[in-house]
Amino acid sequence: MAVAQWVKTLTFYEILVGMKATITVLIQRIILRNRKAITLQYPHEKRELPGTYRGMIALLRYDDGTDKCVGCDLCESACPSRVITVISSEVEGEPMKRYAKEYYMDMTRCLFCGLCVQACPVDALAMTTEYEWAKYNKRDLRLNKEQLLALGDRNFPVREKKLEFQHPNVAYFNIGHKNLPPKES
Amino acid sequence: MEMLVFAGAAVVKIAVVMGVVLLTVAFLTLAERKVLSWMQDRMGPMEVGPYGTLQPIADGIKLFFKEDIIPAGANRFLFSLAPILSLVPAFIGFAVVPYGPNREIELFGVTIKPFIITDINIGILYILAFVSIGAYGVILGGWASNNKYSLLGGLRSAAQVISYELNIGLAIIGVLILSGSLSMVTIAEKQAGSILNWNIIGMGHGGGIWWWFPVTQIVAFVVYIISAVAETNRLPFDLPEAESELVAGWMTEYSGMRFAFFFMAEYANMILVSCIASVLFLGGYHAPYPGTRLPDNLSWIEGVAWFTVKVYAFLFLFFWLRATLPRLRYDQLMRFGWKVMLPLALGNIVITSIVVYFLRD
Repeated sequence: MAVAQWVKTLTFYEILVGMKATITVLIQRIILRNRKAITLQYPHEKRELPGTYRGMIALLRYDDGTDKCVGCDLCESACPSRVITVISSEVEGEPMKRYAKEYYMDMTRCLFCGLCVQACPVDALAMTTEYEWAKYNKRDLRLNKEQLLALGDRNFPVREKKLEFQHPNVAYFNIGHKNLPPKES
Repeated sequence: MEMLVFAGAAVVKIAVVMGVVLLTVAFLTLAERKVLSWMQDRMGPMEVGPYGTLQPIADGIKLFFKEDIIPAGANRFLFSLAPILSLVPAFIGFAVVPYGPNREIELFGVTIKPFIITDINIGILYILAFVSIGAYGVILGGWASNNKYSLLGGLRSAAQVISYELNIGLAIIGVLILSGSLSMVTIAEKQAGSILNWNIIGMGHGGGIWWWFPVTQIVAFVVYIISAVAETNRLPFDLPEAESELVAGWMTEYSGMRFAFFFMAEYANMILVSCIASVLFLGGYHAPYPGTRLPDNLSWIEGVAWFTVKVYAFLFLFFWLRATLPRLRYDQLMRFGWKVMLPLALGNIVITSIVVYFLRD
């Protein structure tokens, strides 16, 4: 046993085992060509992102182009980094209906936890797969409502119907709404 | 006239060798990054030129145009001197290396040896002396930077280079006993024949019926290779540089062309120790089979090609070791140098001299 240990030490056995491992990888890469680099050449080729990827946050619209947001401020209170600022306001002529007059997201602080998306009662917020948002000026990252809606338009071309059209048989209580769908009898 | 031809030929030889060495240095950086990345499932440089082949040129241009910073409190004179002290000894050793067969050509009545810049009779001693001066560049650079990391790197380098230079010196003594000469050209010529006559196997030193007895220098060879890796401050012995401990060691405060000088010195030193290893232990320009295959007037191509192959094999070994082994701890390095390498080298000298004494009877 001791002799075997001595022979191993004298012949640098462990080092040779390690060197065999590295040269095997090299031969597989260069000569046999049955091994690939795990690197992606990033700007030229990009990873395929999963659908649940948490990238830039977007505001969504209904299929008739009106924004989903009802200005409830729940996202603002859910946000741990105080990214979101909502200035809520009444819809003119419809006193029971509110909307976000202004909506700001300071993406420099966002940690992409997705709590705002979870908090939204009308699914007005969504996380996109966009991540290439490096800017020379950090103020460019304070997004306003138009920018957030543009993000949503870009990433979610298929829009939802309005709630009342999604489930026509569900009782609908918003009396401030002007054109209710006809009930199916 | 004769003097002029002689000087002209010398200048041409020096220019060719310097050009080849500088080109090799430039593309060694690329080769190293490529080989390492292939061994580590990466790609290495891919952007500049096809498959990143023009990366050294881009690196060179970048380093050339970078700002040259001398830190406040640095000793300006020594800070500027250190890179030069590093680079010049690294290149100067190539003067005595035989790159091809020791043949002579007549040019305007002057005899010129085209593959040897100069054949001084203390060639190997000359190289060792200048490589030792290279250590001053590292130490002075580390001290003059006025930076704790640089100083620590310089101190480590001083201790490491001194202890491993001893082993290099002792390892080659076995070869010197076999050759009976310090001239690199003579050492290479004594190994003529085949692979069996190379000093790593060492047949052909006995007289009479003992002609086959191998005076193998394989122990010296292993000691030399390990010590050479330590001498050039390469992984696994890159303690003076030690990125994870000392930022960049003695190069921490250097930037631009001064940094490039240190970098070139490191790679030139690698080439130099590879050249020495192939001349001393692997027969230099001799092929592993007896004689040459090409006709006599073209056989120099074969010699130069074999020398190149050997040198590049050693350079690949440097990369290979770097890809495989982690860095040694400082006390491990010292213990290995003094308690393992030194006794091995000394034992090799004793055994070789005894065997040679009885063989040459």
